[in-house]
Amino acid sequence: MSDWEYKPAGDLGLSPTQQLRSLGREAGLVSVLAHGAWCALTNGYLRTAHGFRVRGLEHLPTEPPFVVVANHGSHLDAVALAAALPGRLRDCAFPIAAGDTFFETPVTAAFAAIFLNALPMWRKKAGSHAMETLRNRLESDRVIYLLFPEGTRSRTGGMAEFRAGIGMLVAGTAVPVVPAFLDGCHSAMPPGARCPKFGRITLRFGAPRKFCETTNDRAGWREVASTLEADVQALRGD
Amino acid sequence: MNAFDHPVTLGITAGIVLLLVITPVIFEIFQCAGRLTPELRRELYARYFSWLILVPIMLVPILAGRLATILAIGMLSLLAYREFARATGFFRNRLPSAMVVAGIVLLIFAAADHWYGFFMALPSLTVSALVIVGLLTDQPKGYIQRVALAIFAYVLFGVCLGHFGYFANDRNFQPIMLLILLCVELNDVFAFCCGKFFGRRKLAPNTSPGKTWGGALGAFVLTTALFAGVGQFVFAGTVLAAPVHLITMGALLSFTGQLGDLVISSVKRDLGVKDMGASIPGHGGLLDRFDSLLFVGPALFHYIGYFVGVGLDQPMRIWTGG
Repeated sequence: MSDWEYKPAGDLGLSPTQQLRSLGREAGLVSVLAHGAWCALTNGYLRTAHGFRVRGLEHLPTEPPFVVVANHGSHLDAVALAAALPGRLRDCAFPIAAGDTFFETPVTAAFAAIFLNALPMWRKKAGSHAMETLRNRLESDRVIYLLFPEGTRSRTGGMAEFRAGIGMLVAGTAVPVVPAFLDGCHSAMPPGARCPKFGRITLRFGAPRKFCETTNDRAGWREVASTLEADVQALRGD
Repeated sequence: MNAFDHPVTLGITAGIVLLLVITPVIFEIFQCAGRLTPELRRELYARYFSWLILVPIMLVPILAGRLATILAIGMLSLLAYREFARATGFFRNRLPSAMVVAGIVLLIFAAADHWYGFFMALPSLTVSALVIVGLLTDQPKGYIQRVALAIFAYVLFGVCLGHFGYFANDRNFQPIMLLILLCVELNDVFAFCCGKFFGRRKLAPNTSPGKTWGGALGAFVLTTALFAGVGQFVFAGTVLAAPVHLITMGALLSFTGQLGDLVISSVKRDLGVKDMGASIPGHGGLLDRFDSLLFVGPALFHYIGYFVGVGLDQPMRIWTGG
């Protein structure tokens, strides 16, 4: 509880199209309603068509900020992760999505921003500036990042090595990182598939981990990535 | 009834189109006479190009009719509130912010239904609701500031701007609104030009460093004269066609128009932002452009309402009956 403080939206001063692609974007009333409706719809779909089950919800911190990292084998992954979050956390949950897939045209950018609440990560030009912006926001705002540290969807269903980018976000901070394993998304809708097939999808959350003591340098980032990769791998067999 | 049946509607529309056509010619004449510096020329052209987009956005709904005008003003209210809420950070208070939006939507409904009693009841009812909704989070620290911000936004962008929507219920609303819009916008242009040529003493250096007494007084005289000159045709046949009323309304418009501008300047200074948004290229946000309208609506609505009434001969409570 505090006195009122003026704090303009993180994307103030940007044109409407720039706002959609801004890493500082904050949802307004329209996006909150659209995103809420989208999550309700996808949750209903996943439960009906894929018998969607969520395990380990108790591992999620009660308050943001925190990060969820998961394996990535399908476009359904981000949908399933967002749908699994409790309603009160949904508005501050941002899937970090590939800029070149979801934010290239204004139409896809509007969809990704308004319905998915996604933030763009430009894979070919993901500079340290963008990572720093995301890290600063994680430390100062009530945000949850939903991240797929493999960097791209698996073509085989197996897990690729986690990239060090996740370390750049959390090394040396007290922000909890929750590992999650998505089982069944890849076989339901692998890369290249236009429509999902029926098939059970299960999401398992693991115990959160903090990296307060990890150094914020290349070695530290690598350590964060490999630790979290092992955490997610461990959930595969649960 | 065709929008252009009224000679003033036709005249103002034609005049605005003509003005847009000859403005670059005037710029070039001044340029040839050596009166324009390159910076001033760039500034004037930037404003001119945005007017090429803004004029149709303002003109078309008014010419399209009552409901289109009410909906366009409603949209302006909602977008202005959105800009304010995002600039202050108030939008993060989801429930009170949704309440302000609901209050604005109800004002649009009351105007569209032509239900004067509800339109006038809504400010006190919505303000009460905002004060009560503020309690629900059970966070007394900052309560007054949060609620005050909600009321400030609702009254300014919902109630004040909403008067323009209600104006559309008048049989004569097209020429009246075109006259008001023309004068409010030219009031800004007059203040800008007079300020450039005669501006010496700053009007409110801390609030808006660019404004001068010369600009304000020049705009006051020119706008009042313009309103009185065109207004005699708009209000012909009513008590408001008397010179004293025309001059009073013109003066009221210029004065309140400039005050609206100063209020938004003050808000921006307090927030430490240059513009309220970036939705209009070259102008900033909607509020940076439409700030002068804020108090003109209620001032002229109630002046006209007091002397001749607004929409009294038109069907009332169109949807709700009663």
